[in-house]
Amino acid sequence: MVIIFIRAVILLFTLIVVMRLMGKRQIGEMQPYEFIITLLIAELACVPMSDVSIPLIYGIISVLAVFILHQLLTIFEHISKNFKHLISGKPSIVINKNGVDILELKRNNLGVDDLIESLRITGNYSLDSVQYALYEANGKLSVLENENITVKSLPVLFVAEGKIDKHNLTLCKLNENYILNLLKNQNITKLKNVEVLTIDGNGKVYLKEKNKPYKNFFVKLGDETKKW
Amino acid sequence: MVRCILSIIISVAIVTVGAIYENLFIHNAFDNFHTMLYNVEEKLQNENATTEDIYAVQKYWLSKKRILHAFIPHTEIKEIDLWISEAIIYTKNKNYKEAEGKIEVCLELSEQIPNNFKIKFENLF
Repeated sequence: MVIIFIRAVILLFTLIVVMRLMGKRQIGEMQPYEFIITLLIAELACVPMSDVSIPLIYGIISVLAVFILHQLLTIFEHISKNFKHLISGKPSIVINKNGVDILELKRNNLGVDDLIESLRITGNYSLDSVQYALYEANGKLSVLENENITVKSLPVLFVAEGKIDKHNLTLCKLNENYILNLLKNQNITKLKNVEVLTIDGNGKVYLKEKNKPYKNFFVKLGDETKKW
Repeated sequence: MVRCILSIIISVAIVTVGAIYENLFIHNAFDNFHTMLYNVEEKLQNENATTEDIYAVQKYWLSKKRILHAFIPHTEIKEIDLWISEAIIYTKNKNYKEAEGKIEVCLELSEQIPNNFKIKFENLF
């Protein structure tokens, strides 16, 4: 028991020194490779800590090897911007002046609903309430808010990437024909050309068509329609 | 940046010095151990080995194993300990054939363990 305790103390001390030298940021602010390194280091330290049949030096050398790689990557990142982009990725603008950029979202393996969720976390409930939104390399969403827009009702996503969200339609007591007629009035015949369509409880529509800037307009919601 | 480069240099130096020391120490220890075991095995084959011969091997092994614990898995060290102890008992009872078998295992281990530290395909993967 005492042996395990002493081994744990030695490894913990090694980890503290290594982490301090790495200048580790908070978990949420880590670059992808830093996150991987942190996971690896934790695992590398754990095994020799608890298994007394493994020489302690195995753990220390592995941690040291990962540390050397981390420091080398940090130096190369400072030297070359291309290398930094290759290893850590780069920010991607998912909302610009033209609205939601579906291609950029897809490049990051994300969907419109993921974007809306991230926006809600930043306190922005509507897609038009931000001028720009960027997914940083560490996965956090940064937004430049549109101060002219005030959101009074929660917008609900009805069409994303050419597909109607039937669950949301039912929730808001709307039907597919309502959406199709709405699109017809906007001279859109093909549903697959609609990248995003949201409607809020006041009837404010956010419509983003493929290769076109987004549009905002109002529609009348029927009396039987549940206002949200 | 300076701190970063300095930390890399120091870490690489530690790993390099450690690796060289490990390599030299392990190979030196096991080469001598192997020679001693080989001589004992010959004596066992000629049935003129004494317990003193095996004790000498054990003494050498005990003097080296303290540092070897830092580099090789403790289970492998324990294995050699047990084989040598068995060889001592068999030699004491003049059961040379059995003792020879135990020493043969020690010989095999003394070849295999240092090989595990060589940069080879089978060791890497």
